[in-house]
Amino acid sequence: MHIPDGILPAAIIVAGYATTGGVTWYSLRQIKRDRNPQENIPKASLLTAAFFVASWVHIPVPPASVHLILNGLMGTILGYYAFPAILIGLFFQAVMFQHGGLSTLGVNASMFGIPAILAYHLFQLRYKFGKNNRVWTGIFAFLAGAGGLGLSVVLFFFLVITNIPANIDAAIERNAIYGLVLAHIPLMLIEGAFTAAVALFLMRVKPELLESR
Amino acid sequence: MNFKWKIIIPFAFLSVFGSSASAIAHGVRMQARETQAIEVNAEYDTGEPMAQAQVTVYAPNDPATPWLEGTTDKNGNFIFTPDSSQPGNWSVQVRQAGHGSIVNIPVEGNQAPTEGNGTAVPATNTPRIASSESANFTPLQLILMGAAGVWGFIGTALFFMRGNKSNSELRRSESQNG
Repeated sequence: MHIPDGILPAAIIVAGYATTGGVTWYSLRQIKRDRNPQENIPKASLLTAAFFVASWVHIPVPPASVHLILNGLMGTILGYYAFPAILIGLFFQAVMFQHGGLSTLGVNASMFGIPAILAYHLFQLRYKFGKNNRVWTGIFAFLAGAGGLGLSVVLFFFLVITNIPANIDAAIERNAIYGLVLAHIPLMLIEGAFTAAVALFLMRVKPELLESR
Repeated sequence: MNFKWKIIIPFAFLSVFGSSASAIAHGVRMQARETQAIEVNAEYDTGEPMAQAQVTVYAPNDPATPWLEGTTDKNGNFIFTPDSSQPGNWSVQVRQAGHGSIVNIPVEGNQAPTEGNGTAVPATNTPRIASSESANFTPLQLILMGAAGVWGFIGTALFFMRGNKSNSELRRSESQNG
């Protein structure tokens, strides 16, 4: 779902970099407010590694296949650390495997990173139902994992469907985009379930990792 | 101009410009010429072909206006014949569902102008194959690069974990001493 080079017009690419710059600045400011920001860096590094290789894990969804994205999981576990982590992961994916593009790095980082931050806030809502309630933690982790990816898919949809170049057949391209978006619905369920499993596992073995404040 | 020259000049032209075979008969003119066709194969990085993807070809002298448009076949193949009177880099863009890539194919202008017509046909034994710039790594190289990247992240994690431990040990020993 990464947007490669040469798909979007220059104005969107510049806007993507501007948005990513702003959100990165805001995330780093939030991180700086932590008592000990270094404490969360190992967690962020490990999840960046997971995000970096997740795009290799392809899940067959007929007629095509989609790959794991894990941005909802990143937000759920990392909070504001997720945005710089996703930015770094995307940079490495683009440079090493040409997955996504360097010109679209800003657009892709915003597309995956902003939903990750929203997923974090969604996951925080679990506190309204009691601090150590396993059921609600599982439910909100599922919603955060699935919703983070779902919002990215919606952003992707609007970005590419409003920027179909005039020289190609818009109807065919639109149908292909609908197909790709629908193929991501099963992936949302998979990533939601995976995020819930990880959150419940961490809650049992190392609950402080879920407290990102 | 005498009669002899009228005979010689057309033959001279034919010998220079007609490459492989040409036959002139009463009212019929036939010409067969070998041209360079370019076959583009587009696939996703999973190896699945980009079936029915939209292809746009741009000529070197006008990289903004599409020179030819078409679609790939079900195997992701697309074959076209570039206009060899326009030497330079021909750009082929393949796009499907917001995904796609551009490949530049250098074409040498050593042939007479030909009319370009592109059709999507199944894979044939076309001698010339255009390869995408993004797929230049072997699987082993990709695995090594991925492993190096992952190790970089894990190494970062270990570095900061170690820092935390030594800091907390330091604090503990300080509190014990003090």
